[in-house]
Amino acid sequence: MHISPMIEVGGLDFDLSIILMLIVTCTIVFVLARLATRNLSVENPGKLQNFMEWLVEFVQGMMSSTMDLKKGKPFLGLGLTLILFIFVGNMLGLPFGIVTEYHDVNKATFFGHQLVNVVEEIHKVEAANPGKEVEVGVTWWKSPTADASVSMGLAGLIFVLVHFLGLTRNTKGYLKHYLQPFAVFLPINLIEQFSKLLTHGMRLFGNIFAGEVLIAQLVKLGSTGIIGGIASIPLLMVWQGFSIFVGSIQAFVFVMLTFLYISQVIDTHEEH
Amino acid sequence: MHFSITSLVLALIAFLALYFLLNKYAFGPLFSVMEKRRELVLQQMNEAAQTREQAVSYVEEQKQALQTARKEALEIIEQSRQTSSKQTEQLIESAKVEASRIKDEAVRDIQNEKNKAVEELRGELGAASVKIASKLLQKEVSTDPAQEGLVDQYLKEVGGRS
Repeated sequence: MHISPMIEVGGLDFDLSIILMLIVTCTIVFVLARLATRNLSVENPGKLQNFMEWLVEFVQGMMSSTMDLKKGKPFLGLGLTLILFIFVGNMLGLPFGIVTEYHDVNKATFFGHQLVNVVEEIHKVEAANPGKEVEVGVTWWKSPTADASVSMGLAGLIFVLVHFLGLTRNTKGYLKHYLQPFAVFLPINLIEQFSKLLTHGMRLFGNIFAGEVLIAQLVKLGSTGIIGGIASIPLLMVWQGFSIFVGSIQAFVFVMLTFLYISQVIDTHEEH
Repeated sequence: MHFSITSLVLALIAFLALYFLLNKYAFGPLFSVMEKRRELVLQQMNEAAQTREQAVSYVEEQKQALQTARKEALEIIEQSRQTSSKQTEQLIESAKVEASRIKDEAVRDIQNEKNKAVEELRGELGAASVKIASKLLQKEVSTDPAQEGLVDQYLKEVGGRS
């Protein structure tokens, strides 16, 4: 597996591929949304506007299956941004990849900054097989959601939002539910909250990351020889098709869970 | 797998920036347009319902108007039938009366004429009888009034028998 290009600026590690992919994803989503809402019309919507409205209604449908639409209205924009961002992010890693290979420590730089982990890797490989030529691949283009930091960041955002909403909008019910059904369940409830955070982010990361690993392996298989090349093409087609499916499902699931968690904390009526 | 807080923070910044930009430039206008369309559709549906109600009430009115017109027509026919039969009767009645009057008049006229003719005949016959008698009885019967009266009496008896 290839590693990511990291540079160190002011004591902070910056993953260049993540920065690149975040910019690309946000740009694509924003341009798409702007194009769709450029010539808004009440009576005669264009194709892209229709698509965007379909998406809005789709997210509204997801929302209405978990909570009251009136209560959920402020989160419609959040859900839409999430589903667009995650879906576009998931799709970006599928069609191609950009990989650079470094053999020399001195060449592993990016605008004068050393790619720290590449250097580290080169040293490690050299130490393991001394005398051999070193080759370290660096991925520049991948799904941003295939990185645990990004998907956990999104999940963490939702986590913070959910608990903030619980504390401010439904303080009593929110605090009480930690002691349900008995006070001794407090640790279990706390674990549940953190497991929710973990599964929320890791589900997305794992699915997309695994898909990309397999794609990378199939590409590697394709480069081994004629037989491997022939075998890898149908496998890649099948797996990429499946990855489109998985990417859509994961975007859907992430937004669905977001609404579900929000609805759990803002539901004021007591069922217990 | 490697986990870096910097990437996480960058992802959050990127996502939040995207969220605010989208909300401001894309979703806000889109939601308002969708809301406007919803209102438009609602309004048009209301209008359609109103128009339908109006149409139904118009049809009801038309039906009633038709019914009253039909009733009136029937009444008019009935009335005209009655008046016509009355008129016929009147006409027949008046014709009968006229006919009987004409007949009576004719009878009276005939009677008058007959009387007149009888009177005339009687006069002429009287004169003629007197002449005949005087011619026959020139010698014995003079034309004195006593004898003439006698003859008249006889003649009256004859006339009354005839």
